[in-house]
Amino acid sequence: MTLSTALKTGDLSALPSRRDEDWRWTDLRGLLKVLPPAAPAHDGAVPAGPFASLADAETVFVNGRRVTASDAASGVVALRFVALADKAAQGASHTLVVKPGESLVLLESHEGCAAGYVSDVTLDIAVGEGASLERIVLVEDEAEAVNVVTADVALAPGARFVQTILTSGARRQRIETRVRHPGAHAEVRLDGAYLLDAQRHADLTSVVTHGGFDGVTSQLTKGMVTDQARGVFQGRIVVEKGADQTDARMGHHALILSDKAEIDAKPELLIFADDVSCAHGNTIGALDDEVLFYAKQRGIPEAEAKAMLTAAFVGEVIDRIQHEGARDAAAAWVARKLGSDA
Amino acid sequence: MAAVKETVETVAALEKYEHGFSTDIDQEFAPKGLSEDIVRFISAKKDEPEWMLEWRLEAYRRWLAMDEPDWAKVSYPPIDYQDTYYYAAPKTKEGPKSLDEVDPELLAVYEKLGIPLKEQAVLAGVEGAPRYAVDAVFDSVSVVTTFKKELAQAGVIFCSMSEAIREHPELVRQYLGSVVPTSDNYFACLNSAVFSDGSFVYVPPGVRCPMELSTYFRINAKDSGQFERTLIIADKGAYVSYLEGCTAPMRDENQLHAAVVELVLLNDAEIKYSTVQNWYPGDPETGKGGIYNFVTKRADCRGDRSKVSWTQVETGSAITWKYPSCVLRGEGSSGEFYSIAVTNGHQQADTGTKMIHLGANTRSRIVAKGISAGKSTSTYRGLVSAHPKAKGARNFTQCDSLLIGKDCAAHTVPYIEARNGQSVFEHEATTTRLSDDQLFYCQQRGLSEEESVALLVNGFVKDVLQQLPMEFAVEAQKLVAISLEGSVG
Repeated sequence: MTLSTALKTGDLSALPSRRDEDWRWTDLRGLLKVLPPAAPAHDGAVPAGPFASLADAETVFVNGRRVTASDAASGVVALRFVALADKAAQGASHTLVVKPGESLVLLESHEGCAAGYVSDVTLDIAVGEGASLERIVLVEDEAEAVNVVTADVALAPGARFVQTILTSGARRQRIETRVRHPGAHAEVRLDGAYLLDAQRHADLTSVVTHGGFDGVTSQLTKGMVTDQARGVFQGRIVVEKGADQTDARMGHHALILSDKAEIDAKPELLIFADDVSCAHGNTIGALDDEVLFYAKQRGIPEAEAKAMLTAAFVGEVIDRIQHEGARDAAAAWVARKLGSDA
Repeated sequence: MAAVKETVETVAALEKYEHGFSTDIDQEFAPKGLSEDIVRFISAKKDEPEWMLEWRLEAYRRWLAMDEPDWAKVSYPPIDYQDTYYYAAPKTKEGPKSLDEVDPELLAVYEKLGIPLKEQAVLAGVEGAPRYAVDAVFDSVSVVTTFKKELAQAGVIFCSMSEAIREHPELVRQYLGSVVPTSDNYFACLNSAVFSDGSFVYVPPGVRCPMELSTYFRINAKDSGQFERTLIIADKGAYVSYLEGCTAPMRDENQLHAAVVELVLLNDAEIKYSTVQNWYPGDPETGKGGIYNFVTKRADCRGDRSKVSWTQVETGSAITWKYPSCVLRGEGSSGEFYSIAVTNGHQQADTGTKMIHLGANTRSRIVAKGISAGKSTSTYRGLVSAHPKAKGARNFTQCDSLLIGKDCAAHTVPYIEARNGQSVFEHEATTTRLSDDQLFYCQQRGLSEEESVALLVNGFVKDVLQQLPMEFAVEAQKLVAISLEGSVG
């Protein structure tokens, strides 16, 4: 039941639908009545990516085909998925291995430079013993696009994996991260921020499976929806039998700024070990009227006050980004999305 | 420490499931299995009007086309619905007119269970002690309902469902199935076809029910299922507090209990519904036997400013599948759900609530405490949703799970759906085990390990126990301790 299978086989019944528990809020079968033709190869120039000035090397996929490859597995590497064909389907998969003891910053971008495309990206990531990976994912899809990005991450003992997803949604969009956590002093941080307007939809889904003793997971997702947008958060933390001393925290907090917007959340804890400390928190609400009133009363126009408060709200996620350049780029992205960068 | 000491003594005295005895009583059964004929048989037994039979048959036909749900985190072998008695009742000549005519054997059962059926016995109790009226349901029938006259003086109707269908058909027709429609779900549909008895309550406008009402459900017959149906209507400005208790004998076979509870609240009405569920949980060592408790409970807050409160203490049943819900339709209506679910041995519980905010300024509060021990599994599953019209909706949810032992599991699966920009939802959940530091502290102060666990667990569930009527709170506290017996060390 994946978009990837449907694209490969052309079988629409392989698409996940509302009847699939894990896709209840991101219905692809109801949306895609026909699959668009495969995207053609692109041989023209490719515009520069959002992290062009930060990366030492880059791997680029255009219309689902790899056009530039870098075998660098340490330092700062850009990984770009660019859609340049209108109303076309593209599928890409990529494998990334961070060798033991190495440290990598992955600046991943999904760049929608065409209209109404259907894209599927699967990533296989392995982080070796004592290695460290920081993955920053910036997803800027076109409003009518359908995009599914799935990352499977396997960690070795003592590995460190930190991730921040930034997205502005699409017609339908799912960004899923599945982490196999071995415990053994490995550390995971999964963060995300979504800023959605118009009729955009974004679904941040994660599954972290703690399989061994002494693992740490910390998750913080924040979002804002306005107009008729819909934000979805599904976080699942599984603690398998024997994965004692697991410390897992998950937080999802969101703002709804219009009466037609919607947020759906399912923060799950599935615990099969007893010596654990797990918690999740979920809050959904509007901006505080009193704070807005205070801002207005100080002469700040309402729209500007809302943008300012939203930026501060999402800022907690941005501040947790470790790579300085990426953090600045993320803050600039937030300001641009909220129209407060002028 | 008196309470803890008492708990420990009770545990020692009882050793195992207290209500596990069975009673050899003359009973009549419908033939085993389920068919249209059985539905007709039950309806005829109850002397029901034609419309009721039609209602049941329609439900039966719908049930045939439905699939058993499989989404809950519980596993059990397939149920053979043809291998159960759908009707079992103690033999009586005519319906007993008064308590004196009830089979003394039956009365002895209730005495053994500690349920006061004799009004004078209740009255002769401690002065000022709260009184409560009881509807005693034994397998498929209600054997007696107490205090009916006194309640009638206040205008309150409290009787068995069969009696309500005969005596108050207009109310039953108006409200039955209006909260939980026949085809709502597989088990509710089955219940609609074969329900045999249950309680009916109607509290007229502006009346505060003069005493607590309660129903005591007892499964006794072997291979039988219990399918009761409860309907409570609180008219404008009415108030009623209702308690429900359940027990069953220890048997090696699983028995099915599929009940439906419907609550209807009009403007300014309030219902407080408390359950202490202690069905036989099965053998703690082998997991053999026990009740399958598949229950649909729902309250419809139709009226503005109406309020419903569900409190449940779930310690029994091999499998629990139960989600008491609130449909908050009326403006400013509110719903509460307080739950303690204790699982031990091989028990599996998938329970929680649904708060469906449809009206403006509706409020809800969920406090769920799950305790898993032994090889058991306990899941909190809940839905909180706000409709676009539910402006100003508020929800607060707190789910805490406590794990005792290496082989148990605790899951939290909340669903939150916010569809307007003026509602506020807060949810928090934690899963931990009993703190070593706290246990050490208690033991260091001279408490045994079992006493320490009882004390800490009582502290953990205190928020919910406080919501129960006084006498049930004491009972429930003991029950929690007993259910966890043997889970330490």
